Amino acid sequence: MNVLPWLIITPLFGAFSMPVISLLGGKFREYWAVIVSGLTLGIAAKVFYTVWKSNEILVYTLGDTNPIGNGVKFPIRIIWEVDLFGALLALTVTFVSFLAILYSLEYMKHDTGLDKYYTLTLVLELGMIGVVITGDIFNFYVFLEIMSIASYALVAFRNDTWEGIEAGVKYMFVGSLASSFILLGIALLYGQYGTLTMAYLAMKIAENPTLISKVALAFLIGGLLFKSGAVPVHMWLSDAHPAAPSSISAMLSGLVIKAGGVYAIARIIFGIFNPGLHGYLKTFGMPAFNLNTLGWIIIFFACLTLVIGNAMAVVQNDMKRLFAFSSVGQIGYILLGFGIGIVAYGDKIGEIALTGAVYHIVNHAVIKGLLFFIAGAVIHQVGTKNLNELSGLARRMPFTTISFIIGATAIIGLPPLNGFASKWLIYESSAMYNPILAVVAVIGTVFSLIAYTRVLFTFLGVESEKVKMVKEPGTAMIVPMLVLVIIILVMGIFSWQISDKIMLPTAKMLEQLNGEYIMALLKFIGGG
Amino acid sequence: MRAQNSDMGLIVKTMARATIPLIGIFGAYVIAHGHITPGGGFQGGATIAGAGVLFLVAFGLSEAKEKINKNFYSVLEGIGGLVFLAAGMLGLGVAFFYNILWHKGPVFNGEAGTLLSAGYLSMMNLAVGLKVYTGLVSALFAIALFRRWKK
Repeated sequence: MNVLPWLIITPLFGAFSMPVISLLGGKFREYWAVIVSGLTLGIAAKVFYTVWKSNEILVYTLGDTNPIGNGVKFPIRIIWEVDLFGALLALTVTFVSFLAILYSLEYMKHDTGLDKYYTLTLVLELGMIGVVITGDIFNFYVFLEIMSIASYALVAFRNDTWEGIEAGVKYMFVGSLASSFILLGIALLYGQYGTLTMAYLAMKIAENPTLISKVALAFLIGGLLFKSGAVPVHMWLSDAHPAAPSSISAMLSGLVIKAGGVYAIARIIFGIFNPGLHGYLKTFGMPAFNLNTLGWIIIFFACLTLVIGNAMAVVQNDMKRLFAFSSVGQIGYILLGFGIGIVAYGDKIGEIALTGAVYHIVNHAVIKGLLFFIAGAVIHQVGTKNLNELSGLARRMPFTTISFIIGATAIIGLPPLNGFASKWLIYESSAMYNPILAVVAVIGTVFSLIAYTRVLFTFLGVESEKVKMVKEPGTAMIVPMLVLVIIILVMGIFSWQISDKIMLPTAKMLEQLNGEYIMALLKFIGGG
Repeated sequence: MRAQNSDMGLIVKTMARATIPLIGIFGAYVIAHGHITPGGGFQGGATIAGAGVLFLVAFGLSEAKEKINKNFYSVLEGIGGLVFLAAGMLGLGVAFFYNILWHKGPVFNGEAGTLLSAGYLSMMNLAVGLKVYTGLVSALFAIALFRRWKK
């Protein structure tokens, strides 16, 4: 039996049954959340292994075995289309969510309303899984909204603090505006082409590329750049991530801006507005889009994001705010990779850039998850996240300090750790494509180095009064951190093997030089 | 200060007693006929939630506190979702959301246009109606209960 629907059913069942389970009281709801998210992780690993092994795009139709309607030649049902990129993202999402839920067992112990918290966390996970597996653009919007609304509620979860409410309101207002842009884009596409299936939409747009679809693309990319926290519209992120509970910050920073932001941008550009398809049309003198402009727009925002995000991280006094700005900076690298992947489409350089971007999504999810867990441990044990009040934590919290050093060196991109390989691929491709871009990328990294060195001094140095009595957090918070540290080290040791075995096929499948994403659907039309 | 929560007059209360059952029945009708007439789970559920709001407004918060149990509503909302999911999973042998009751099920596969047709749709409408009703009523009740205007 096909395992793909269980990826949605399991967290949905967990979230819907949470009010019933929490009637049992005590620890049941926590264990239930851990069991459900653990199961989801297992299913995602199975899906990823299946796709990776067969190296084929998995198409699953909801409602019947065939997406094509009776007697017609076009898809009428919702399809889920999972290529290696989607499967890799699903695996990352379920993995970090599982660790975040495990981490909240102890971290959220002092809060009230925890049945709602675990329901919302499972719903957030569900929304992100849905975004990465879907092949239907309206289904994509619905899952994007599920994800967004769950994250608005989770940012404002601690509603007795002013910053939680302020960040939640800001995030909700601007996020809803971005979502409505995306919906408007989808409505324009639907009005013009009369279909919502992404692969079929790609064919229709290639047949008849109109101005409307260009406008729709602008709306979609605008809304999604917003969701990914690119620079002119990153202000919600730097408020939302510090104000959320740390387990949620880890999910927001590691996953939400990837699944709902850069993943969706890449999927819409490479899936629906495929540069290869339009380049092919152009060689025959047919009307087609020139997606290089779009690539340069994305590169422009990427460079802005890189420099401003990392530079803003340098001047922060709040540990979580610093990490949040650093997330903005890292999104810049991912966008730079995708941007070069578009302008150098079909080239070796474009492939390297895409590999780097995909790789960096995974690496950054793991590293930033660890860093926010560390920030949570510091807040939980010391009670402050102000860098000026913290100093000399190393003696009292040695494990946390070592994890921080590993996480910080990994995110800057020092060689033995996993951040090196992905950043190297992005530097290499940008240097090969245009040296100025490489210079900008290096400037971003210099700022990031300065920012993290500042945080390092709060862990080392003389013990301040505040930290005299603190000790390490308990097992439930240590274990997720330890797992992430081990993952970072292992991925660092085998970084080039991972790049060749997983990330390069993923980038190739995303790039779809032969239009595999469309062919996976056309297979059904040919058979029917 | 008893009056602060139930400040509606006798006429409003009497009218509410008369109309709440009517609104409830109409909402139930909209839900039950979701697959053959306009409307469905959301519309019917929101209509019944309107009856809940009328109850809350006409009889006041103290009366509502006795009648509305937070856990009960929360569990009902969860059950609504679970029934929807279960209906979607009935045909999982073929595909998720495959309407197996319509194609070869023992019930709900009558002639199209009758009440007992359309397979799992009526089950889903009931589930969505239940979820919308309990969700809206508990959300509005929670907002009505929410502390005071000032400290």
